[in-house]
Amino acid sequence: MSKLTTGSFSIEELENVQIRIGSIVGVIENKIEEQREIGPTPKPGIVDLRDWDYKLLDRYEPVYTPMCDQCCYCTFGKCDLSGNKEGACGIDMKAHQAREFLLRVITGAAAHAGHGRHLLHYLIKKYGHDHPIDVGPSNLKMPVTQTVTGYRPETLGDLEQVLDYVEEQLTQLLATIHMGQEGAAIDFESKALHGGMIDHVGMEVSDVAQISCLGMPKSDAKAPLAEIGMGCIDSTKPVLLCIGHNVAAVTYIIDYMEEHDFSDKIELCGLCCTAIDMTRYQMDSGGKPSAKIVGSLAKELKMIRSGIPDAIVVDEQCVRADVLREAQKLSIPVITTNDKIMYGLPNRSKDSVDDILKDLVSGKEAGALVLDFNIVGELAPRLAWEMAPIRKKKGITALPDDEEFKELTSKCIQCLACELVCPTNLPISKAMKATSEGDLVPFERLHDKCIGCGRCEQACPKGIPILNVIEKASQKVIREEKGMMRSGRGQISDPEIREEGVNLVLGTTPGVVAMVGCSNYPDGTKDLYTVANEMLKRNYIVVMSGCSAMDLGMYKNDEGKTLYEQYPAKFLKGNLINVGSCVANAHITATAIKVAAIFAKRNVTANFEEIADYVLNRVGAVGVAWGAYSQKASSIGTGCNRLGIPVIVGPHGSKYRRALIGKPYNKDKWTVHDARNGEVMPIAPAPEFLLTTAETIEELMPMLAKSCIRPSDNNMGRMIKLTHYIELSQKYLGVMPDDWHIFVRGETDLPLSKREELLNILETGHGWEIDWKRKKILSGPSMKLDVSAQPTNIQRLCKEA
Amino acid sequence: MVDTIKNTRIYTTWGTKTAKPIQPKTAANIITKAKRPLLVVGSAVLDEEILDRAVSIAKIGVPVAATGHSIKGFVDKGVYARYINVHSLGGYLGDHSWPGLDGKGQYDTIIVLAHKKYYINQVLSGLKNFTNLITISIDKNYLQNATMSFGNLSHESHLEALDELIENLITGKQWRI
Ligand code: SF4
Ligand code: SF4
Ligand code: SF4
Repeated sequence: MSKLTTGSFSIEELENVQIRIGSIVGVIENKIEEQREIGPTPKPGIVDLRDWDYKLLDRYEPVYTPMCDQCCYCTFGKCDLSGNKEGACGIDMKAHQAREFLLRVITGAAAHAGHGRHLLHYLIKKYGHDHPIDVGPSNLKMPVTQTVTGYRPETLGDLEQVLDYVEEQLTQLLATIHMGQEGAAIDFESKALHGGMIDHVGMEVSDVAQISCLGMPKSDAKAPLAEIGMGCIDSTKPVLLCIGHNVAAVTYIIDYMEEHDFSDKIELCGLCCTAIDMTRYQMDSGGKPSAKIVGSLAKELKMIRSGIPDAIVVDEQCVRADVLREAQKLSIPVITTNDKIMYGLPNRSKDSVDDILKDLVSGKEAGALVLDFNIVGELAPRLAWEMAPIRKKKGITALPDDEEFKELTSKCIQCLACELVCPTNLPISKAMKATSEGDLVPFERLHDKCIGCGRCEQACPKGIPILNVIEKASQKVIREEKGMMRSGRGQISDPEIREEGVNLVLGTTPGVVAMVGCSNYPDGTKDLYTVANEMLKRNYIVVMSGCSAMDLGMYKNDEGKTLYEQYPAKFLKGNLINVGSCVANAHITATAIKVAAIFAKRNVTANFEEIADYVLNRVGAVGVAWGAYSQKASSIGTGCNRLGIPVIVGPHGSKYRRALIGKPYNKDKWTVHDARNGEVMPIAPAPEFLLTTAETIEELMPMLAKSCIRPSDNNMGRMIKLTHYIELSQKYLGVMPDDWHIFVRGETDLPLSKREELLNILETGHGWEIDWKRKKILSGPSMKLDVSAQPTNIQRLCKEA
Repeated sequence: MVDTIKNTRIYTTWGTKTAKPIQPKTAANIITKAKRPLLVVGSAVLDEEILDRAVSIAKIGVPVAATGHSIKGFVDKGVYARYINVHSLGGYLGDHSWPGLDGKGQYDTIIVLAHKKYYINQVLSGLKNFTNLITISIDKNYLQNATMSFGNLSHESHLEALDELIENLITGKQWRI
């Protein structure tokens, strides 16, 4: 008897009858078994990768920086945990901080997985279970999913089982937050790493599903350029603004606008990741995205207050909680399209478009919850179309006119209350003073650094609408905010890895710098440009995603070109890639996995530990989330960490409460085994941390170069990486790094142009023995120079001696 | 004499243990009594007027942990200063086996100056909860998570306060590492 499998079947002689078998108990296990090589950990539970976590945490110790001295999780409390005291349940401050971190990670992971589940429901309904997964020219279609679960999904329907696994893990992890139970900080840490890994599976499902169905670019280095910036929005047309992360509803809007000839007549624009995905929609065969991007979350309140949008559509995730309140003040109707955000609005999902339209245009209702995308698709453009003339006639904006502006700025009493609560302590009072004296420059400077949170306004004793004042003062610079972003290209393809993998592992491509995450930058958006520009000039591969990908497009060189227009977008040294929105971050970890699979021919299926070990020791990649604020950013970073990729966050990231930092002075932590014979060999402390912060981009740049050093570098690779580390330190810190010499294994690791000078420092400063005739190092390095060694942290992977 | 505590606005969301507001003279006394103090400066030290004062403190013999990119300001100044990441430093300060920046061992009194307020407050939170170190903020913002801190100061009174601190360091028990 043949085995029952999932899929669609027709029965001969019975026309019009189609049978679908969606799910059979055990089918996922069967599919796994069918594959030849299965690693040791298919669908790992909380305990299954704990040994790996313990290895990481032994070297990279948690550094806790609590946001609060207390715990208020249960009614035994509040408990004062200051000074590492125990609470009434017996938990101490360290374990509680680890628990807090875990909660951040699984919140972020749930946001992505929830997004994925929502998207998948809708895509399966529209395209069917059997719709094939198509990510471009790759055999390894879902590297993260395959490495973690052992499962190789081929169709949309297959993805459901992957999400079942993700959801089960998240439920189990969430259960551990409950009071009592876990008492060891290190096990909360291991759980957090598990949650981070799970997050990347959820993200991969989300993005692969939408790439496969919505015509998004598929590993396309020529993905189109999209306009970005408040200055590129044409406010003479009716303006429809979409905010959020889940593009499902918006695709109906785009389709409706095209079918009804609205595309040129209505200005469709987006904020946050929805905006990125709007520019990916139906772009897999080229073309120009019809939607424009306003920017990141930092622009949400600013854009609304400008009064420019005539209607707003929101979906989920990083959307301000006060969108409806703020929009209502300016007669901008709001449509909510996802059950994560309902704003107390009536559910109109079953009403006719005309009825809803009537209530919104008349102002009878401030907004509507509409979960039926067919309705949203028609309602939103028609709403913007009808609201525009009404709103334009009234000239509605929150920004003060010239007279009010003068009055407001002169009301300031320089009390500094606003600066104290401003997340970045911006010099608002000074700017107020300068403005009242006719100088707008301080506010124009402040405008880019201001993340548009509105907290200052809540504190001002004079009731000054400070954000409106900032925006009014900066009208000139806002008009000039026009840039270009390459729309998200999706995965790095197998052929690209085949070409570049070797350079990465040997170090001749100095590294991959992935700049991801949100917009809570310590010093404005331009820093991203400065960092990416510097690293691109040095031949690093720079990979962007999410809000960082957008903000990078805002700056131009002297010839008026953004970095996206200056640099090609292949996976090659000196290239600049935008993988896509938040959920596309999975393609970054997927890239590292692909290097192990394709270049090193490692079996990735259900083999997470071995692959992570490979990445930690051989793939010179580092993540930067310079403006990280969201829980999602913490889960993305933590997922990278478990896979052996270090991450640096901006100074605000210290508020995630814990970092993972190694101690280079603790020599016995910096060893690996040589897989050829199991021998223990010392290595340089690289990467030095898995998660840490930097204060400024000047500090960040040498850290990036150092974080790409790996035990597997060959001489040429080490020489290149060391050159960048030394040069960046000299350029941005004004000094040679104190520790450059610990990365030197022999004279061939030294940059050629500086070899003599450096040998001299090694001799006089560090007491190394040098044979000056042959320019050779005789003694000094703590590591042996053996480029064919096979560094690993896992003893079971070693051949017997 | 500048009063560094009268304007203290204790703006906090941190919790139960808060820094005691202190005057420059008291701060100087405590630093003078320290066995092994460490001055931890952030990148805002590159403001020339603040840098001059930081260098003066270093010249009395307090070693400098130059965090962020502040090390730029200490090149060729004839004082002991080393770059270190402040988050790493926060971790190492809780480890008795850390040899210190100069190999001479762990510190006992940490003085912080010229940082991003929210950032150093996190690092100080770690020290407050997991070490017995005395931490003194001589920054212009009140730093709740230090053991002791100046209140909230204008730029001008901050400079004045630093001068008074330095004067008292010098006239106090001649302090040397
Ligand atoms: S969970 Fe524990 S520490 Fe927290 S409030 Fe309850 S008893 Fe106190
Ligand atoms: S709106 Fe801008 S200026 Fe006001 S508190 Fe937020 S970041 Fe600071
Ligand atoms: S809170 Fe208001 S009055 Fe006080 S400094 Fe800020 S803007 Fe001026």
